[in-house]
Amino acid sequence: MRTTPVAELDGLTVSYRSGAGRVTVAQDIGFSLYAGRTLGLVGESGSGKSTVARTLLGHLRDGSRIDAGQVTVRGEDVFALSGSALRQLRGGVVAVVAQNAGQALTPSLRVGAQIREALRVHGLPADDDRVTELLRLVRLPAPETIGRRYPHELSGGQQQRVAIAMAVATEPTVLVLDEPTTALDVITQAAVLALVNDLREELGMAVLIVSHDLGVVSVVADDVLVLQSGRAVEHGPTPKVLGDPREDYTRELLDAAPRIEGVPAPEVREAHQELTLECQDLDVRYPRAPRLAVSDFNLQVRRGETVAVVGESGSGKSTVATALAGLAPVERGRAVLRTGDDDLHDLLAPARARPAAVRSAVQMIFQNADLALNPRRSIADAIARPLKVFGRVSGRAETRSTVLRLLDEVGLGPEFADRVPAQLSGGQRQRVGIARALAAEPTLLIADEITTALDVSVQASVLDLLAELRDRRALSCLFISHDLAVVRNVADRIVVMKDGRTVETAATAAIFDTPRHPYTRSLLDAVVEPGSTHLPSSDADARVVRLDPAASLVEASEGHWVRDDEGAVTT
Amino acid sequence: MTRLRELSTGTRVGLVMVGLTVLLAVIAPWISPYDPISTNADNALVGASRSHWLGTDQYGRDVLSRTLEGGRFALLVSLLATTLAVLVGTLVGTLAAYHGRWVDAGITRVLDAVLAVPAVLALLLIVSVFGNNLWVLVLAISVVYIPAVARVVRGATFPVLSTDFVTAARARGERSLAIIRREVLPNILDTVLVEFAMRASWVVLLVSTLSFLGFGVNPPTPDWGLMIQENRTALTVAPAGTLAPIVTLSVLVVGLNLAADGLGKYLGVDRARRGVLR
Repeated sequence: MRTTPVAELDGLTVSYRSGAGRVTVAQDIGFSLYAGRTLGLVGESGSGKSTVARTLLGHLRDGSRIDAGQVTVRGEDVFALSGSALRQLRGGVVAVVAQNAGQALTPSLRVGAQIREALRVHGLPADDDRVTELLRLVRLPAPETIGRRYPHELSGGQQQRVAIAMAVATEPTVLVLDEPTTALDVITQAAVLALVNDLREELGMAVLIVSHDLGVVSVVADDVLVLQSGRAVEHGPTPKVLGDPREDYTRELLDAAPRIEGVPAPEVREAHQELTLECQDLDVRYPRAPRLAVSDFNLQVRRGETVAVVGESGSGKSTVATALAGLAPVERGRAVLRTGDDDLHDLLAPARARPAAVRSAVQMIFQNADLALNPRRSIADAIARPLKVFGRVSGRAETRSTVLRLLDEVGLGPEFADRVPAQLSGGQRQRVGIARALAAEPTLLIADEITTALDVSVQASVLDLLAELRDRRALSCLFISHDLAVVRNVADRIVVMKDGRTVETAATAAIFDTPRHPYTRSLLDAVVEPGSTHLPSSDADARVVRLDPAASLVEASEGHWVRDDEGAVTT
Repeated sequence: MTRLRELSTGTRVGLVMVGLTVLLAVIAPWISPYDPISTNADNALVGASRSHWLGTDQYGRDVLSRTLEGGRFALLVSLLATTLAVLVGTLVGTLAAYHGRWVDAGITRVLDAVLAVPAVLALLLIVSVFGNNLWVLVLAISVVYIPAVARVVRGATFPVLSTDFVTAARARGERSLAIIRREVLPNILDTVLVEFAMRASWVVLLVSTLSFLGFGVNPPTPDWGLMIQENRTALTVAPAGTLAPIVTLSVLVVGLNLAADGLGKYLGVDRARRGVLR
């Protein structure tokens, strides 16, 4: 069945200069790409997967060089090609789709013009018909007219489709996708992946997909190559590698991946009865925005309970978090916080107008740990600040000992205290972010997409830490995420949001067992996890769930509320 | 701190040029061979000789002594005015960016209005009304440069404000000045430092221009701008009197620019990413 490979890497070793020595980013990597087949390159950040993928384009980062091995595409060594031959290869024979389409497209050019440019550079006919044909090929709605739009007028998924159209315009032999769906929400991700599968079949390309997500690789790749710090760990057919891994590292990755199927539902934890947070009919509007960012939001969080707010980007889930932290103006509604000593506090005032007790009681952990810590201040400094602002400690020695205790609580040693954020890994930074939030001794912890930027293994350990702290300190936790699989293991209850409205809310097990709203169902369908092979349709717009403005939440069964839109199961 | 080895050759040359000029100006009173303001009519406009290395000017004053001492006033004014302009400009710029909306709009409009007035013209007016005393000059020059500094700092502040550590500080309910000092300033310090070096070179030129036009230093006092103005008529007879202040002024300004450039490149590479704390 195997024909000759269209591209081959053979014993490739790449290193780059670092200070006086050289660091090897890829060590003796070899694989073959065949027409009509997909190879998945999996690894955590820093594993060298992008470096390896880009050698197919004859591209190396500045200061890098090839120490051994070679890269051949259609029988030619790409690093021996002349300048003009290399330009023909790039885009013509090997095309690449980058991670963030929003940055890969020129903001000031219509998308049709950008596709036309891709064709013209390679001397191909670039008339309107061809552009329309390509836009139809990537299943964009209204292909005749969408080419006249600018990138900012398209959604993230549509932008990524345009980028794919540009890449396949020249009918390349090899398509390289570098984390093509990382910036997309689950529903869009599933549709884009299905599109990649369809295109590979229609155009007979060889596809190389680079991802940190085993689920993504599982649904699109025929073969998998697992990389760890520049070395190939395991290589073989996808069902075999993911179904019966031979190496410990692959097994670790698989164990750490959040899953929905095949794992028991999290046990129902005994909840305290007293409410920590109660929101009623919250409306949030950003200054001078025509539309409400969040409307009629209701939420109750008990002490020690974790409630997850789930939705795609733009659903208003993060706005809820910022509003509760006092950083977005609440237009209408009621929000009450009960702190440890049974005091009731109004949560509608902006942060600066709140009493210190409320400010310390509500603490946030942020999505991007890189941006959440001041790069110019030491870790000890970052954690000591809330201690000082809220008067938790007095004197230098006590501050120091409290900081060290908090660091220890989040699993970091005292040696971290005097480092700066740049000297920490992503997971360690996120732990510092958690320690900073704990320093204020909060009642309510708001975690806004805290694991999105982390590798799966790190993600799992941060989630474990959060669960442990929550139990030990009886913290109430509002966990914001776009990923149902992540939420499943941490949340007691789940609120599903779309377009600023709550569409369904129920206990975690109920959401997964009997999803009642069509939107919740499509979210669940779109989750890809290791071992899954099925994808919904590649036509994203076929499954758009529309909300009926007149609909309202009804209680379908005990504690299970659903918005009675078309398609919702209310009985 | 800054390790000299990491600086580029250009930066080092620039720093040496600035350092040399400043050092000479500081120790000038002790090393000048003659009193820079004592005249000697018999010895006017002589060429370079062993007793007068750079010759004398039309009143017989020693050009070398006048050149050595001629930088003192300009450097003092520049240092004070630049420091004041950068301090106030940074404060105004960060506050405008932090408060945003109408505060920002208001401040920016005022800054734009001040920026629209030509610097030299404004200074000439101020000096002719209030006289040319040191503090009038310092205040006037800093007012002229505050808007430029403020706009640059405002631009550098915006990206820092959108980071989550600022959001965290806001959620803690910290005051605006505390947030600016603790969270924003350390992250824009590079911009501020480069801004200081750039402005310093402009201010030196501006002060010398004023003196050249006769609105800076009062005549017998040695000053580069004034010297160029006084001696340019004798350029063909005794060129040293004009050339010497031009050369020193150029060395200082070129040095400042090289240093600012190098500093910008050095700091532009994010020090935080290299894990350098101090």
